[in-house]
Amino acid sequence: MNEKDQYKNRIELLQGTLDMLILQTLQWGPQHGYGIVQALRLRSGDVLQVETGSLYPALHRLERQRWVQSEWKQSESKQKARFYRITAKGKKQLASDLNRWQQIVEAIGSIMYVKPEESAS
Amino acid sequence: MKWFPSFGFQRRNRELKEEIDAHLQMAIADRVARGETEETARQAATREFGNIALVQDVTRQMWGGGWFEQLGRDLRYALRQLRKNPGFAITATAMLAVAICANSTVFSWIDGTMLRPIPGARDTGDLVSLQRGERNFSPTPPFSYLDYRDLREQNHTFAGILAYHNDWIALTGGAQPERVYIANVSANYFDVLGIKPVLGRFFLPEEESRAIPNVVLGYSLWKTRYAKDPAIVGKSIEVARHPVTVIGVAPEGFVGAAPGLRDDLWATLDPLGTDVWRMTHRDSDWLIVIGRLRPGVSRGQAAQDLDTQMHHIAVAYPDQHLGDNRITLDPMWRSPFGANGYIAATLPILLAFAAVVLLLTCANVATLTLVRFVSRRRELAIRQSLGANRMQLVRPMVLEGVVLSIVAGAVALVLTSWTSKTFAWFFPANAIPLILNGSMDRNVVIGIAVFSLLAAMLCGALPAWRSSHAPAIEVLKAESASISGGSRNRKLLSGLVVAQIALSLPLLLCSGLFLRTLRNLAAANPGFEQDQVLTASVGLNIAGYSNDEAQVIRHKILDRVSALPGVEVASLTDWIPMTLIQKRNDAYPEGHVPHPHESLLVQNAEVGPRYFESLHIPILEGREFTLGDDEKAPGVIIVDQTAAGRYWRGQDPLGKRLRVGGSLFTVVGVARNSSHTFVNESPEPMVYMSFFQHPGYETMVQVKSEGNPVDLEPAVEQAIHEVNSRLPVFDVRSMRESTQMASSFAVIQSALAGMFALIGLVLAVTGIYGLVTYRTQMRTHEIGVRMALGASRVDVLRLVLLQGFWLTGIGLALGLAFALGLTRFIAHLLYGIGADDPLTMASVVMLLGAMSLLACYFPAHRAMLRNPVTAIREL
Repeated sequence: MNEKDQYKNRIELLQGTLDMLILQTLQWGPQHGYGIVQALRLRSGDVLQVETGSLYPALHRLERQRWVQSEWKQSESKQKARFYRITAKGKKQLASDLNRWQQIVEAIGSIMYVKPEESAS
Repeated sequence: MKWFPSFGFQRRNRELKEEIDAHLQMAIADRVARGETEETARQAATREFGNIALVQDVTRQMWGGGWFEQLGRDLRYALRQLRKNPGFAITATAMLAVAICANSTVFSWIDGTMLRPIPGARDTGDLVSLQRGERNFSPTPPFSYLDYRDLREQNHTFAGILAYHNDWIALTGGAQPERVYIANVSANYFDVLGIKPVLGRFFLPEEESRAIPNVVLGYSLWKTRYAKDPAIVGKSIEVARHPVTVIGVAPEGFVGAAPGLRDDLWATLDPLGTDVWRMTHRDSDWLIVIGRLRPGVSRGQAAQDLDTQMHHIAVAYPDQHLGDNRITLDPMWRSPFGANGYIAATLPILLAFAAVVLLLTCANVATLTLVRFVSRRRELAIRQSLGANRMQLVRPMVLEGVVLSIVAGAVALVLTSWTSKTFAWFFPANAIPLILNGSMDRNVVIGIAVFSLLAAMLCGALPAWRSSHAPAIEVLKAESASISGGSRNRKLLSGLVVAQIALSLPLLLCSGLFLRTLRNLAAANPGFEQDQVLTASVGLNIAGYSNDEAQVIRHKILDRVSALPGVEVASLTDWIPMTLIQKRNDAYPEGHVPHPHESLLVQNAEVGPRYFESLHIPILEGREFTLGDDEKAPGVIIVDQTAAGRYWRGQDPLGKRLRVGGSLFTVVGVARNSSHTFVNESPEPMVYMSFFQHPGYETMVQVKSEGNPVDLEPAVEQAIHEVNSRLPVFDVRSMRESTQMASSFAVIQSALAGMFALIGLVLAVTGIYGLVTYRTQMRTHEIGVRMALGASRVDVLRLVLLQGFWLTGIGLALGLAFALGLTRFIAHLLYGIGADDPLTMASVVMLLGAMSLLACYFPAHRAMLRNPVTAIREL
């Protein structure tokens, strides 16, 4: 029960951003699930650790929304894997996600980093 | 094995597995490349990945449309569980099928009779049956033609009112006369019922009261006698030796407006012009009347409207409207005319019994299911710890119940298509054209679906919900088998067993009361001889003889039959007691002026000389009728004790005069009381008239035989044919056979109640046996410990028996309270026994108690004989 609830919470927490992160990763080229996990970890300097229990549902959901497409290919290490590629629709979505993300960051930033004189007046 | 089309589900599932597998392989490969060993890399990668099954599950949920696939998966799981337990699956399905079939059978009988009172008619819910005066079962037709016409024309609440009168008649003209049931009907008859002809036309308004010899054939008569002749319309056929013209054929399935009776053909009210008297006199009541309410008019409003109209008529013609003139309206399902009055008093009660059987069965199946779930509690707990939520656990368990109920419903459907037709078996051969039977139509199928759904809820959902409550950790921790699924389940199990005993007790009690009623009815003395009497109907009236011709023939028949060897006494009558047929008339003592609405109804019958002698009914005072009491002699009657008591209490009735149907009659004899319709009726006054003075409509020869009356059948028939070879003779049977009709509903009640009670007893006993066996098994370890610590075998026996004893005791106490409430509803159906008869009650309680304790004894005995050492080892 509890274990299950934790998964649920994480999916919900990351929902907005996880989609964006995955789509951004796929901008650099088609990638499989394991590759996406590794890419996100490397680029975030080991800060972001995506749970598989969030990643795969997200990938399958994105595919259903036609933001990504998948095909089975050989990886560089001769391993057959499912590669995801971003679609035109996905790129549009990524742009709007990014836009919204920036708004949120600015909004939150303007609250969190208020200049002292402004707060005094 | 594939049970469901999976719409690529299998392929996507396989791909998901491969995708995850690829993920793991790459993670392992990376780790190995970093210098880890194959084994540690594998472990670490798997740990890092997390719960594979859960990832698969949450990913699958993203696919959408998953509920159908999930249902398919759960269904496959449920079926697998049931296949693992064929014993349970078959037993539960069979029990449910029998219980659903019991309900659907009774329901199909109700559907075929009460719910379809007039097959083929449009919106029978808007039809009401009109009754004038006292309301009782099978009353005589209540309206005269002129009164009917006034009501039809002056009311404000009916879309139409029809009238009919039915009787036997003979179709002559062929090689042998054929007896058919004819209805003389008002011209709007088919129109009000909403029936369209398959051939030709029906009657026109201007034909209603004129002597136009037209007939409409019933579909089955057209089919059997005229081989579906498509050119029958316009042809002339012979009815009672008169030529008549066929103008139309009624559609298939339509058999007339009297519920439960079959009309073969229809004519207008006076097609031959021979019944002018009853067409023109307001004191000749011969029509049964049915009205169709206008939309939006309630039965109460309509009754008030007709009551007002009838009051005006009664005020305008007071001499023709002595007695009670108040109007009551009945919906067709309980119309007193036809068979529905009797059926409405019997079948709903039997349906209630059947419902109790279904509840009982559901309790039994729920017990079995719960026991299975309890023994599967470890599996359930493991699935719960692996992340299955409550809904996911419950769904396959509920589906098990649903599958069982659907299969049981399907079996019941097949069974019911046969059992629905068995209703007719309960009615012995008789002189009424009864067509009572169940029907297997959409209503019944819907009914079965509802019963199955109810069963699924009770025996699937309830135990599933309960079982899913079990706390997983405790179940997994509990190593000992001594916890029988937690105390909550134990309470529910015990409750279900108590419910089974409590539900079966009233069934047993009611069936016991019904069986004793049946025995009392059979043993009761109806006050007349039943064993050595033969009756035969002669179709004089229906064959079209004039009254004078008929009287001559009757005398000849009586002479010839009396002379037959083996015949002790022969007589004539127009009525046989206890055949559900009765005739009533208003009778007032001379000089009595009745108040408005005062009704002095008596039953009456026309009987010939030596009638009372042939039936062994003693004449207490005065004399029997003689051949001299004919049309020229002064009017005479014989009354029974009840009539004598009503009219001349404390006086000598002989020589007193009574006005019956407008004429005065002198009492010449007092007969002892005898049963008229049922043995258990409250006595109604009876007035006998002399057959040769006042000939009855029917002519029945009644013979008291020296030996077995059935042996006389051919001789009597031949004697009648020697008088006139073209006379139709029918309904030749012994009095004993005829009077069985009176107890047919008692037979139905006791047969069905007995069957239901037997099912209930078996279920209750197996239920308690199953539970005690199961609980004892669960406690094997504990019993072993007790014995090892010095408990004797008798102690063990007592331990096990005691719990069965308690359950039985509580069940019996609850059942008794339930039964006492329930028997009040059947009190009016009982005869010679009270609804709270202590003897029946005690024997039923003893039977059920003894059977339950016996059921507990076997598991207790087995537990007692266990070897303590092996018992302790068993977990």
